[in-house]
Amino acid sequence: QILAVGSKSWLRRNIGAEEGAGWWQEGCVAVGSALLTKFSRTWRSTTPPPTSLLSFTILFLAWLAGFSSRLFAVIRFESIIHEFDPWFNYRSTHHLSTNGFYEFLNWFDERAWYPLGRIVGGTVYPGLMVTAGLIHYILNLLHVTVHIRDVCVFLAPVFSGLTAVSTFLLTRELWNQGAGLLAACFIAIVPGYISRSVAGSFDNEGIAIFALQFTYYLWVKSVKTGSVFWTIGCCLSYFYMVSAWGGYVFIINLIPLHVFVLLLMQRFSRRLYIAYSTFYIVGLVLSMQIPFVGFQPIRTSEHMAAAGVFALLQAYAFLQYLKDRLTRQEFQTLFFLGVSLAAGVVFLTLTKPSLPPLLRYAKIHIPIIASVSEHQPTTWVSFFFDLHILVCTFPAGLWFCIKNINDERVFVALYAISAVYFAGVMVRLMLTLTPVVCMLSAIAFSSVFEHYLGDDMKRENPIKQHPFYPVKNSSVYSKLIVTMLMLMLLMMFAVHCTWVTSNAYSSPSVVLASYNHDGSRNILDDFREAYYWLRQNTDEHARVMSWWDYGYQIAGMANRTTLVDNNTWNNSHIALVGKAMSSNESAAYEIMKSLDVDYVLIIFGGVIGYSGDDINKFLWMVRIAEGEHPKDIRESDYFTPQGEFRVDKAGSPTLLNCLMYKMSYYRFGEMQLDFRTPPGFDRTRNAEIGNKDIRLKHLEEAFTSEHWLVRIYRVKKQENRQALDHKLHVGNNPILTKKAKQNKFRN
Amino acid sequence: MWSGGAAIFVLVSCVFCASALADGLVNEDVKRTLDLSSHLAKITAEIQLANHGAARVNSLTLALEAELAPHLAFIGTVFSHVLKPFPSHITQAEQQLVVFQGNHYLYSPYPTRSQTTRVRLASKTVESYTKLGNPTKSEESIEYGPFKDVPPFSQDDMKIHYENNTPFLTISSITRTIEVSHWGNIAVEETIDLRHTGAYLKGPFSRYDYQRQSDSGISSVKSFKTILPASAQDVYYRDEIGNISTSHLQVLDDSVEVEIRPRFPLFGGWKTHYIIGYNLPSYEYLYNLGDQYALKMRLVDHIYDDQVIDQLTVKLILPEGARNIHVDTPYPISRSQDELHYTYLDTFGRPVLVATKNNLVEQHIQDVVVHYNFNKILMLQEPLLVVGAFYILFFTVIIYVRLDFSITKDPAAEVRMKVASITEQVLTLVNKRLGLYRHMDEVVNRYKQSRDTGALNSGRKTLEAEHRTLTNDITALQTRLKAEGSDLAEKVGEIQKLDSQLKDLVCRSCQEAERLVAGKVKKDAYIESDKTLSGKRQELVSRIDNLLDAL
Repeated sequence: QILAVGSKSWLRRNIGAEEGAGWWQEGCVAVGSALLTKFSRTWRSTTPPPTSLLSFTILFLAWLAGFSSRLFAVIRFESIIHEFDPWFNYRSTHHLSTNGFYEFLNWFDERAWYPLGRIVGGTVYPGLMVTAGLIHYILNLLHVTVHIRDVCVFLAPVFSGLTAVSTFLLTRELWNQGAGLLAACFIAIVPGYISRSVAGSFDNEGIAIFALQFTYYLWVKSVKTGSVFWTIGCCLSYFYMVSAWGGYVFIINLIPLHVFVLLLMQRFSRRLYIAYSTFYIVGLVLSMQIPFVGFQPIRTSEHMAAAGVFALLQAYAFLQYLKDRLTRQEFQTLFFLGVSLAAGVVFLTLTKPSLPPLLRYAKIHIPIIASVSEHQPTTWVSFFFDLHILVCTFPAGLWFCIKNINDERVFVALYAISAVYFAGVMVRLMLTLTPVVCMLSAIAFSSVFEHYLGDDMKRENPIKQHPFYPVKNSSVYSKLIVTMLMLMLLMMFAVHCTWVTSNAYSSPSVVLASYNHDGSRNILDDFREAYYWLRQNTDEHARVMSWWDYGYQIAGMANRTTLVDNNTWNNSHIALVGKAMSSNESAAYEIMKSLDVDYVLIIFGGVIGYSGDDINKFLWMVRIAEGEHPKDIRESDYFTPQGEFRVDKAGSPTLLNCLMYKMSYYRFGEMQLDFRTPPGFDRTRNAEIGNKDIRLKHLEEAFTSEHWLVRIYRVKKQENRQALDHKLHVGNNPILTKKAKQNKFRN
Repeated sequence: MWSGGAAIFVLVSCVFCASALADGLVNEDVKRTLDLSSHLAKITAEIQLANHGAARVNSLTLALEAELAPHLAFIGTVFSHVLKPFPSHITQAEQQLVVFQGNHYLYSPYPTRSQTTRVRLASKTVESYTKLGNPTKSEESIEYGPFKDVPPFSQDDMKIHYENNTPFLTISSITRTIEVSHWGNIAVEETIDLRHTGAYLKGPFSRYDYQRQSDSGISSVKSFKTILPASAQDVYYRDEIGNISTSHLQVLDDSVEVEIRPRFPLFGGWKTHYIIGYNLPSYEYLYNLGDQYALKMRLVDHIYDDQVIDQLTVKLILPEGARNIHVDTPYPISRSQDELHYTYLDTFGRPVLVATKNNLVEQHIQDVVVHYNFNKILMLQEPLLVVGAFYILFFTVIIYVRLDFSITKDPAAEVRMKVASITEQVLTLVNKRLGLYRHMDEVVNRYKQSRDTGALNSGRKTLEAEHRTLTNDITALQTRLKAEGSDLAEKVGEIQKLDSQLKDLVCRSCQEAERLVAGKVKKDAYIESDKTLSGKRQELVSRIDNLLDAL
């Protein structure tokens, strides 16, 4: 308790400014550390009845702590959907809840990818929407009149509790009850998972991690028991995972890998045979029921490992069977025959036109994927930031598992190794690493506590000499020191988790906040201001062009048609928008005309110093446009001869006259932000802009939000040129004549 | 009756009534005031009426021009949407000009002797105005008349074109939902569609000009004040995409003022949509006598000064079980079919009264009274529902935990459970027995100091007695274990064997102590033997422990 209080004051010193939310943080830290302290106390009870009550209490508290530490954003701001993808998920959930499930499955969204549209029902993992829709439906059936938005906002925090429970179950299967509880506490508050599951972050990962852990639990259970019951449970859970997240590929590769390694280790058993055969067949059939997945499980290379292992297992079992029946000589002949047949089959599979996995990872080098920050490789800092002390302790847990190996510990070892590899490839996949790190760290901590906090009676006569601690009868002091040290680590972990959650992962990013010198808060609500303006004051079918990042938000908040959005399935369409943004105004006007654009929306952070604006993303637009239109757009044109990207006078003329630049800085040259800087001083790039006299010919400013963060331009309709006396003049210009004719025709 | 020339404000119905013309009524002196300073036209006429006929007159008729009649909002007289912006589209930098078209004369079924008309404007800038009777124009007003001897129903077009930058805000539709709870709360929620009905914005909207030039977009609406009742709490102001963070709330003594700032400034033709809601304590609005209740609330409340509501829908949600509902409205309002509303813990639905009315202004802020009967017993329904739900939940859990629902019997599992419970008992008994020895040690120690043989003997006796019962119990359990066919019985037997050795050691240490006290042994020898004895004991105890752990 003293430690808990100490950590609280430490926290207060660190955060200081955020007095408003301080109590909340303290609460979370207190709950977190209370959990850990409580945990260490419960260690001694060995008789089942009090333990089950205690485990229930601890799990409940873990759920509560996990839930409440995800509420920072709701407390500080409001119950709102965050970021980008969640807005699409929310919009489709809304569609589902208002129009019903079949309408959702057949939904053709004509508001996206104009003029192509998008078949939403067949291009999403519907698990998330169906889960939220179902919860909403049930609640409304019981006359609990919650809005679908609130269901969506609080879905991920609620599911984090379920994740904690399933992690507990899995760890209990792997090690023991105590490690399970510790793992549940870890996963409830670890930042690596919170980053994807704060309230408002209504994304697939929020429910998928639960499904992942639960599937693994049921898999371990079915390998342990060899019971079809558990395996069918595992398949159903796998089905849920497939319906929720593309990461199901991880399961369908890890489980075969587990089976394969078990075979290599001569650990084949009937249990394994029953479990995997049932899982593969039922899981395959179930996964193909999701429209978006369809026939992929039997066509693409990611799923081939599962099929191969399935065949291998059948062959192995068959050989085992024959071994009992045949003589050695017969067996050998048959074996060679079988092997050559299998080789033939494998050869046939490989020659089929399927993309090898290596090529898939090479996709990272496509600009559109590389332009997303969460697809960058993970740095060491972010490992520590997201996992803190767990990243240091989990190898120890892994070692314990390997030291006392059994079927299910093979599984967790493979899980750990593969997840570490994936997390290293992409920041985003840190998420799959987090649960296994929690489990293995829990095992490590649990073993240490088991040794140093064991029962007094047992301590006098150590029954089993642990291989890891050669010191027999360690003195009371050393025990005390080790225990204190471990508790300190856990306490620090709880504090770190709360701090990271509060400071790094609890911003809705739709609403920005800035703090004044006196600590009072200013809310910059420009995004919603502009989106709501679009929603209210433009034609219902107006088409808005923007960079794809904002597509989902425009569709969700402004309810207008967009050209491209975050579902980046059509690269050439995105390249076309990129080309329009990076061309000069008249060239861009031709593109916009051909795409029926009514409004252009851009994000400009120069007034308030917002770094995530379109000028900073501009080079990606150029690169993507160049990929499809190398003749018209060249990245080098946008750099100075020295190879710099600058917006001031020294910048390249192509940049200074492109549409994006003009729209961003239109009339900004007149604006003097303060007395120390010249007019037209861009705060984001710390430069005085190079082109202050910007005139727009085909566009006009339609709306600019209060802090200029969002600027919307209206694309002017073509002037009517059908008056008779003008015909002579335009007669000289074939293009204009054509246009005039078109206009006439239209009228 | 009216002959003394009583001055009245016009307050009656506006029906044309031919029979009224038969009366000898004459408007002696009329002072008309046209207030055009806001976006409404408020016309007041102070009329001195004389009856020159012989008959008594019980009523008089007020007439309205046919062009203005559809715009009449309230007989006070307030007209909405009669000021037409002209030009109808302006740029951000331009001022808003409006045209008023009316009548120079009082439109009346009676002849008028003398009349003056005073027009109040919003600003000094007047583009043009009709010059009937050479009116005088001062700062912000125009005086017409006096006109003498005007015949009945005379009309002469008055047209004033002037600058008016007051906010031309119109509520195109509002849905006001009042939800009454007998637990002490009235929740009010208004869903409002707002529109700027002034001159349309033409061309671009420049944020730079709007921020840097004070007269840019002068006719636009940045914010307005809504006055809520003084007891309003938990005020929220939001729309489809969340909380509107640009509002301010000020709690005053007699009201709560919300500075409503739409997300964006409203220019001509722009519209917005928002929801404002708050809670009120019910004791201020809900009265009861036994089972009879009366709710007295404003049918429509203040939204902004000089408000114009094109369409109002009021939904009154009464508690579940309200009967005999009767509504007293201050002015006629069209009732729609009643609805049912379901919310938390409702079973058969709350009655919802729905009423609609078009074209309302500030003067319509009046109280509506709803009478209904409500049986207080029904208040218990909701808590009982919760209690019942929890009861069922716990009951199910109890049933599930206590009863065996497995389809197949698993004898092995049952045996395992039985064995486990027996082992549990064995464990406690053995531990108790070990405790006895420790207790005996203390007795011996005390004896060594006090040399009280009696205490030692009694201690030994109790040890013997308790030891016997415990050992017998354990033996009984051991036989039960054997009966269940468990191999643990052997281990228990082993424990018993070890224990008898242990007990012998205890007895011996006891005897040794006696001999020491009696002086039969030297101290050194005693210490020596005690050491060996305790060493042996230690070893035995640890072996027993090991066995226990293996159980």
